[in-house]
Amino acid sequence: MSPGEQRFRHGLALASFAALIVYWAFSDFFGKEIIAEIAVFAILAISLDLVAGYAGMVSLGHGALLGFGAYMFAGAAVKLGVSGGIAVLAASASTGLIALAVGLVVSRVHGIFFIMATLAIGEMGYEYFFKSKTFGGDDGFAGIPRLDLSALGLNTNDPATFALLLILVAAVVYLLAARLLASPYGWALVGLHENEGRMRALGLPTRLYKASVIGVSGLIAGLAGSLAAMHTQFITPQLLHWTTSGEVLIMIILGGLGTLVGPVIGAAIVILLRHELSGYTDYWGFWLGAFLIAMVLSRGNGVVGWLYLLWRRFKREGGHAAG
Amino acid sequence: MFSDGGFWITQALNSLQLAMLLFLLSVGLSVIFGLMNFVNLAHGSFYALGAFIGYSIASQSGSFWLAFILAPLAVAAIGALIYVTLINRMRAAGPMKQVLVTFGLIFVLLDTMRYIWGNDQLGLTSGVPFTGSTELLGVTYPSYRLFIIAVGLIVFAGLYLLLEHTRLGAEVRAGVDDAETASCLGINVEGTFFIVFLIGCGLAGLAGVAALPAFSAEQGMGVGILIQTLVVVVVGGLGSLTGALIGSLLVAVTLTFGQVFIPDFAGIIMYALLLAVLLFKPEGLFPARGRA
Repeated sequence: MSPGEQRFRHGLALASFAALIVYWAFSDFFGKEIIAEIAVFAILAISLDLVAGYAGMVSLGHGALLGFGAYMFAGAAVKLGVSGGIAVLAASASTGLIALAVGLVVSRVHGIFFIMATLAIGEMGYEYFFKSKTFGGDDGFAGIPRLDLSALGLNTNDPATFALLLILVAAVVYLLAARLLASPYGWALVGLHENEGRMRALGLPTRLYKASVIGVSGLIAGLAGSLAAMHTQFITPQLLHWTTSGEVLIMIILGGLGTLVGPVIGAAIVILLRHELSGYTDYWGFWLGAFLIAMVLSRGNGVVGWLYLLWRRFKREGGHAAG
Repeated sequence: MFSDGGFWITQALNSLQLAMLLFLLSVGLSVIFGLMNFVNLAHGSFYALGAFIGYSIASQSGSFWLAFILAPLAVAAIGALIYVTLINRMRAAGPMKQVLVTFGLIFVLLDTMRYIWGNDQLGLTSGVPFTGSTELLGVTYPSYRLFIIAVGLIVFAGLYLLLEHTRLGAEVRAGVDDAETASCLGINVEGTFFIVFLIGCGLAGLAGVAALPAFSAEQGMGVGILIQTLVVVVVGGLGSLTGALIGSLLVAVTLTFGQVFIPDFAGIIMYALLLAVLLFKPEGLFPARGRA
């Protein structure tokens, strides 16, 4: 990838977060709820992109990580009564640890078998929380508090404040992930994706690297889960279901796999489409599926890939006009 | 109740009946997977299509048998359409893109079926054969479920003969074993793949219409059974008839007896089975490829 393309992506990310803030400024209560949902899924999609887009391991278990984080946050905040900040840390850390443990196991298998293994582990988590009496089973878990930031003069129970906070958290996650990927560690991940055998021959402990990125991804997914639990204040095992994982996967494919900004754009597209289209039709899934198929068939890399091609053409034509 | 022999026999028959449905679904998927490294996630949708189309035919014509014959053919025809318009173009794109396209297909097919048949459960109320019960091994068991078991066994026997004793079967086995060499030897692997794909779709449709009188048709059924089918395929081993049968039996026994003894964890045990196979015998229990 050229430095120009990298700059283009960061610029696009800046524009996307700016667009979210503009939307935030002009939206009603319902719009603020949508923004919070977009931010949660943008964070989750970034976390999946690290594993699927950069390290090349397509996972169908990220819904389970999201749900696990949400339940850990709810458990810590409600059952143990710890403060919100510590609950977020605990939820992220525990989700990261379990993802690391899972990563050590599933990094042995590849391709479709990796998908199946992550699916199986994710569904085991779903079954557990579906049946668990401690966590309310299929009735869900209610009465989850939001992070108390009154010390900073912020009222997180105000939808506008909460939505803006979530946009900022998503932007910080984006920056941290971009920083990680620009490091030697990030290059090693891309190397794993390109040619695992060669990376092993170069002396890289490949399985450890794969497990570690799954762990980092789990850490971020746990954060997304905590935010999801705070946002809706009521969670159900449905968060862990593989269909949630599938939806996040669709987001990053639509946005652009392995582009980091693509997941953010994809999350916004899917969630906006769902809310807009569900007003007109009961069958928005049809359009989502058709959109996904068209995107995969188009052989480009999602919305970000398209925009980059447009941008290059625009620049070339601009250059001709000037010269 | 556990010391009662009848209890065990009933549960064993339940397992067998579920296993036969899973077998009908997984055998096509498994051979397609083994032959072309192609995973069709929309395979469960063909099962649902079979049930819904079967419902429409049976309730319009009043004849379940007509539905039983026509629904699988209709599903195979829909499969052919999807193959020509979508899957054929994806042949060179690599397995991951194919998975994603069929993943998108799940949503498209699900909403298309909801549009046509609505969201309600549709059950057949009349014209269903074998409505009574049969005395078997000292237990009373619904005759229709015995019929499902018989259908599964007949299909297994038919596929065995097809695979082991026909030219098509030999081409499929050669293709599963080594597609490249097989095509070098002049076998039209793409053509074989197309036929196998159609047979797989038809069998999924057959499973759907066979399940209709026992479970009625509902929109969640395709996605619901997809995961179990995928578990069977991975556990049994790719591209193998025996593997699909044994895998189906294992998964069905796990689910059925798990549901009885530890209802809270029946699902978890099935996934644990999948995980154990993936980690310790990733090629499955009875892989067709690499047989000595």
